[in-house]
Amino acid sequence: MTKKTILVIDDDIDLVEIIRVTLENEGFGVIDAQSGERGLEKARAENPALILLDVMMGSVDEGFQVAYELRNNDATKEIPILMLTAVADQTGFDFNPSKDQDFLPVDEFLEKPISPRKLVDMVRKHLPTSV
Amino acid sequence: MRFDLGIAAESSQFVSAASLRLRLDWFNKLRWGAAAGVLGAILVVGVVLKIPLPLRPLLVTAGCLAVANLAYVLRNARIEPVNIGAEIRVVKLQMLVDLVGLTVLLNLSGGIENPLLFLYLIHVIIASLLFKGREIFQIAWLAIILFTGEVLGEYWGLLPHHHLLSASDMTHELPFILLTLASFWMVLLFCAYMGASIMNHNRTIKDELVIRQTELIEAGRAKVDFFRFVTHEVKSPVSTAQSAVETVLQIGNDELSPPLVDLLKRAVGRLEQATEIVKDLADLTRSRMLSRQNLQVIDLNRLVRRIVDNQTELAAQTEQTIRIDQPPQPVVLTSNLTMLEKIFGNLISNAVRYNTAGGQVVVQLSEHRKEIRFAVADQGIGIAPEDQDKIFEEFYRSTQAQERTNLGTGLGLSIVKKFVEELDGTITVSSLPGSGSTFRVVLPRLRALSQESRDQSTAADDSRTID
Repeated sequence: MTKKTILVIDDDIDLVEIIRVTLENEGFGVIDAQSGERGLEKARAENPALILLDVMMGSVDEGFQVAYELRNNDATKEIPILMLTAVADQTGFDFNPSKDQDFLPVDEFLEKPISPRKLVDMVRKHLPTSV
Repeated sequence: MRFDLGIAAESSQFVSAASLRLRLDWFNKLRWGAAAGVLGAILVVGVVLKIPLPLRPLLVTAGCLAVANLAYVLRNARIEPVNIGAEIRVVKLQMLVDLVGLTVLLNLSGGIENPLLFLYLIHVIIASLLFKGREIFQIAWLAIILFTGEVLGEYWGLLPHHHLLSASDMTHELPFILLTLASFWMVLLFCAYMGASIMNHNRTIKDELVIRQTELIEAGRAKVDFFRFVTHEVKSPVSTAQSAVETVLQIGNDELSPPLVDLLKRAVGRLEQATEIVKDLADLTRSRMLSRQNLQVIDLNRLVRRIVDNQTELAAQTEQTIRIDQPPQPVVLTSNLTMLEKIFGNLISNAVRYNTAGGQVVVQLSEHRKEIRFAVADQGIGIAPEDQDKIFEEFYRSTQAQERTNLGTGLGLSIVKKFVEELDGTITVSSLPGSGSTFRVVLPRLRALSQESRDQSTAADDSRTID
């Protein structure tokens, strides 16, 4: 079975390494991008099995913008997206993951600090079953 | 109506047209009273005391004053108080008319013989409440000129004299006239001076207060900015460090010796503590934003039960029981869910944390027409009377609390209080050290929505009513 690749879009390079160590330990391949733009490029080019996306990178809502872009692009719209949110995010709105999920273009929210166990569980949960 | 000090009609930074209009409306009401008083006095003098004064001219003058007042009232009703200059001109006109009217009435009722010449003073006093120094003196001089003119006019025979006191005719007694005029001038000018000085003093104080208030607001804002900065800068490194350590623990568990695992676990614990503080600080800075947005209809019974369920495991560790006392029908409130979770959650977790082993925590929810009441009582360490105000301060932890555990941040209750106040509620505590504490929160219903929210909640299905 070919290794499944997961794309991490986050400007926190330390966190990217933590996620890499965790997921490679589980047999996944990990690619990363530090900005929304680079992330979109890599998503289109590499067609990862799943995307981990940080809410706040450069600007306040960059994460959501990237998620919308991914969903609007035929090449990437089927890829599951897990959004990483931080404590006390100043996103300007008080979103409630359980309530707002219907309206947002992501499949799940993961709150930082990320526990490795939870990360792996979530990734496995949302990975498409067929390659 | 309480008479407000400290307005200077000329500069719009002190007073608005609207507030000056309120005072003018009050004066108009007073003037009705004055007209009635004059009418009454004329009748008493003419009919009861039978002093031969020219009743018809007196009544006509009083009538003119009443008509003028009617004109003022109608004008105020018609015209919006927008232009401060216009309102000021109207006041000055009214004062002029009042003073001339008073002079005419005095002439018709004895002139210098009439002790009611005191009434000029009232106008000087009113002027000092409304105007700045220069205008106060203008009014004083106007009164002086009118009165002096009236007295001298009668003295020189230019104006008719109507005896008030039948026995004597003081209007041609020069010493008396000069004495009266001298005292009149002195008293009016002195009162104008006093009025101007007092008003200046008040204005200086008011200016200083405004400056102080601005400084306080600035300081408050600086504090919030500081918290926001700290949370922003601290949260990311702390959170990433925690993830790194947890990952090492997870993946390297087999390779690491137990003492090393133990150290790493301690590290995670301390990092969680830091994250808690960051979350609390964030709550403190966000509360204003939260309360204005995201209002929803909330079933408080379910919310309380959910929070208590979260606490039962912790409570069981010290053999505590948590009892809920709430009405059978749903208690519904339109409010911000996040803030209520924080308020109820924090109070209940505090009760558990500071309770005696094996003790009971009682959570009470009750509903009233205009408000809902929430209370949490424990049987724990209690709070000393001198601490009971301070516990709501940021970072404050009472000695009893510190003895129990060093895990508290001291921010919890300050956040609770802030959230409660943002929701227009009140929080009080009653406690006896060693016997326990009871925290009571009262949250008013949003006025316009209280009936609407009841209709909505009975109609709503589970997916709409969030608990």
